[in-house]
Amino acid sequence: MALPYHKVNVLTGFKAAAEMKDPKPLAKVIKKASRPLLVIGPRALTVQIEGKPFIEYLVEIAKAADIPICATAHTKGKVEELEATAESTYDIMEIINHLKDPEWKGLRGQGCHDLVIFGGFRTDIGNQGLSTLKHFAPHLRTMTLCKFYYPNATFSLPNFKKDEEWKALLEGLIQELKEAQ
Amino acid sequence: MEGSKRREEIEKIIRAEEDWEPVGPTPMPHVPDLRNWDRRLLKTYKPFYAPFCDLCCLCTYGKCDLTGTNRGACGIDIASQQGRMVTIACCMGMSAHAGHAAHIIEYLIEKYGEDYPIDLGDQVNVECPNIRLVLGMKPKTLGDLKKAVEYAATELIHVLSSTHTGQEGDPVDYESKALHISMLDHVCMEAADVAQIVGFKFPTSKADTPIVDLGWGAVDKSKPVILVVGHNPACSTEVIDYLRKEGLEDKVEVCGICCTALETTRYSDKAKIVGPLSRQLFFVRTGIADVIVADEQCIRTDLTIEASKVGSVVIASSDKACRGLEEVSERPTDEVVREMVDQRKHFLILDHRKAAEVAVKAALELAPKRKAEKELMTPEQAKEAAKACKACRNCEQVCPNLLPLMEAVQKAAEGDFEGLKWCFERCIGCGKCEEACTHGVPFQRMFQSVASWETWKCRAGRGPVMDTEIRKVGAPIVLGTIPGVIAFVGCSNFPEEIDEVAEMVEEFARRKYIVVLTGCSAMVAGMRKDKDGLTVYEKFPPDFDAGGVVNIGSCVSNAHISGAGMKIANIFANLPLRANYEVIADYVLNRVGACGVAWGAMSQKAASIGTGFNRLGVPVVLGPHSSKYRRQYLSRKEEDDWTVMDGRKKELVDTQEPTPEHLCIVVESKERAMVTIAKLCMRKNDTPQGRQIKLNHYIDLHKRLIGGLPPDLHHFVRTERDIPMFFKREVLAFLKEKGWQRKPVLSLPTFIGTYPTKVPIEAVIR
Repeated sequence: MALPYHKVNVLTGFKAAAEMKDPKPLAKVIKKASRPLLVIGPRALTVQIEGKPFIEYLVEIAKAADIPICATAHTKGKVEELEATAESTYDIMEIINHLKDPEWKGLRGQGCHDLVIFGGFRTDIGNQGLSTLKHFAPHLRTMTLCKFYYPNATFSLPNFKKDEEWKALLEGLIQELKEAQ
Repeated sequence: MEGSKRREEIEKIIRAEEDWEPVGPTPMPHVPDLRNWDRRLLKTYKPFYAPFCDLCCLCTYGKCDLTGTNRGACGIDIASQQGRMVTIACCMGMSAHAGHAAHIIEYLIEKYGEDYPIDLGDQVNVECPNIRLVLGMKPKTLGDLKKAVEYAATELIHVLSSTHTGQEGDPVDYESKALHISMLDHVCMEAADVAQIVGFKFPTSKADTPIVDLGWGAVDKSKPVILVVGHNPACSTEVIDYLRKEGLEDKVEVCGICCTALETTRYSDKAKIVGPLSRQLFFVRTGIADVIVADEQCIRTDLTIEASKVGSVVIASSDKACRGLEEVSERPTDEVVREMVDQRKHFLILDHRKAAEVAVKAALELAPKRKAEKELMTPEQAKEAAKACKACRNCEQVCPNLLPLMEAVQKAAEGDFEGLKWCFERCIGCGKCEEACTHGVPFQRMFQSVASWETWKCRAGRGPVMDTEIRKVGAPIVLGTIPGVIAFVGCSNFPEEIDEVAEMVEEFARRKYIVVLTGCSAMVAGMRKDKDGLTVYEKFPPDFDAGGVVNIGSCVSNAHISGAGMKIANIFANLPLRANYEVIADYVLNRVGACGVAWGAMSQKAASIGTGFNRLGVPVVLGPHSSKYRRQYLSRKEEDDWTVMDGRKKELVDTQEPTPEHLCIVVESKERAMVTIAKLCMRKNDTPQGRQIKLNHYIDLHKRLIGGLPPDLHHFVRTERDIPMFFKREVLAFLKEKGWQRKPVLSLPTFIGTYPTKVPIEAVIR
């Protein structure tokens, strides 16, 4: 979108997510992070990517890069079924409330996370939560792995028209992360 | 400004010389009078902002981008801007109820005079707990209710003025103003509903109000049909009166959408509830209504346009929604009816008696002419209509509930209607899908072919909780042996199936919580039947007691829910209500295990209703759409300070116990909501027996819906005596692993004494 020269005439804010279509730079961002966190929402249970639940991709990503999982809503059971450890103390807004604080010790008690990856949320609640972090958490970066573009994230996937494109990206990301281990 | 003149004026209005209770510290308070209470509350439950918009567009300096640390041209930052927008929303919500109250009181005073007495029957002596508490007045007449609304209106001026140029500038002070105006929202709702109860002789002092028909399928479309829409029953009750007078009550169907439906069934058990706000467009598009009488608040702005599409006519009856129509109160009735019938014209008629007569006469004449316009779309027709879809996904991109509409329509074109039915059950009824469709797919009409046309049941709203009921349940609620009072309130902007509220109601009623309902949530609770064909209103008793499912009434009846909390403090604990807000709110926060649930909150009214509950110390759980309200009140259980005053020993105690954990929180799934509700019913005052019961529900729900023991369980176990027997071994092992240590158990926890206030600590002890 072109921006007007005089910024009082803009339609919306200026700060919008970088659109990430390639798994390599995404993997680079994740690998560079010291204390990443994966936050999983309930749509990851119901959304299927060509027959495979989205949550399975998310858990594979967490395993590949040793990322702690915050399982919000009622996702904990499925994460554990996939043989990953899930922290379910916090729901989506509660974890965001903690992430705002740079002094928070994080899920592993090692310090606040510097990269937070989200997947499996309604786009409306997800974008609202990301808005909080965009405005009030300059100390961290955010990434979304859902099928749709989230303007309030730091890094977002594009709006994928076809699931196969989304699947390819997620599989590519998992591969990149595994290779880095 | 507090001065002797103002004090004299207040004393005159509230008749301070009356000795029913001593006048407390804050009669008819201004914002600063309760500011310290708010700041104490928000010290624990800090405002959490999720900006819905990065910009401020409210003045000609802007637009200003407030992202991150940016400030606007006036100096405002993003947090203060959110507080400002929340304050504006609460002012809008409160003014809607204040406007409703002012209108209905004026209408009834015109009918019966200012001195018409307030009598809520032999089971309700504390007639207006909100007005008693906030103003310090014991209202006796309609004229007294008018004074309460006038006071609230003056406060509205002050609060709304603070939003000009963002002059307040501080987010917490904005929140204090939002809390103040929302407290007054409850005053206005109470004034409105008490006026309605006495003026229209709605049910009061009884629990077993009539069971009425619910659902669009309940409407007999072979008869002339009048649909009433909105919130204000002044006109709809006149319609019933006219039908009764003319002996037509069995010959004309009167049905309603949104709260006017609830109000009308409080007046006549022959009236029917079509459904919540989310079914407004759907029902109007069926063409079943011959005449639509619109009043105020939650009415579609394009009602006349939509009505014209199916040949229905609209009578606008409120000065809040004139809709550009000709006002015809002074014109002869037959002439107006003629134009409505022959030309399908819509009119504004502010004289309610006249509007009622016109509505009935027009419906009687229109019905025989409109039979073809009431034909519903068949599955075959829907299949044909679906073929217009070009799979562009425009419909999906504009859907506020993120529904997979394109796929559903594509499947319907092949004769598979499951997806369309799935979407209808989740549709919030905005109609944006049709607006976005460039190929004319008639989504809302296609829903006619998949909607269930069965009749459900709803109990008519019963108004205030009776004093006798409070006497019975006060002790078990405060001790915790009744695990909580859960209020399902608000609109129908639900994230998933329309009957999710019914599922949650059933779960908690079965667990012997007291479940109360109002508004659209009260309707949808009845839209689910069990295997025996019974709804929750037929399965559970209507009493305000353990396991009861109580339809309190419409939106304005929410004041009776906050009022019930106040009455527990007053009737059970014997604390004076009169102008004693801090003491009562402190009691409710620390000792009354109540939790509000607005699963589909949509409007500004819902924002102010919820915020009013928050100031009183009642936590509220919101559905995911409510993240767009921009603000929640959240704590951080591990990091925050949970120190309170031990009222008996008069010393500060670090309880280490986050109860209630939040004051306002958005959650995404009903499973998480149910677990959160159970958790938010815990209070520091719980006896070990009461805490055992509450923890039993919390653990059981968590195990079933999320999996395993709650990971924060150790925060809520104070001593071994709190542990439910059934889970004892498992919980003890968990506590050992967590390094749990015993916490103090207080029988009189209070915030009083922990912040600057005129209220002495002795005031909390009775």
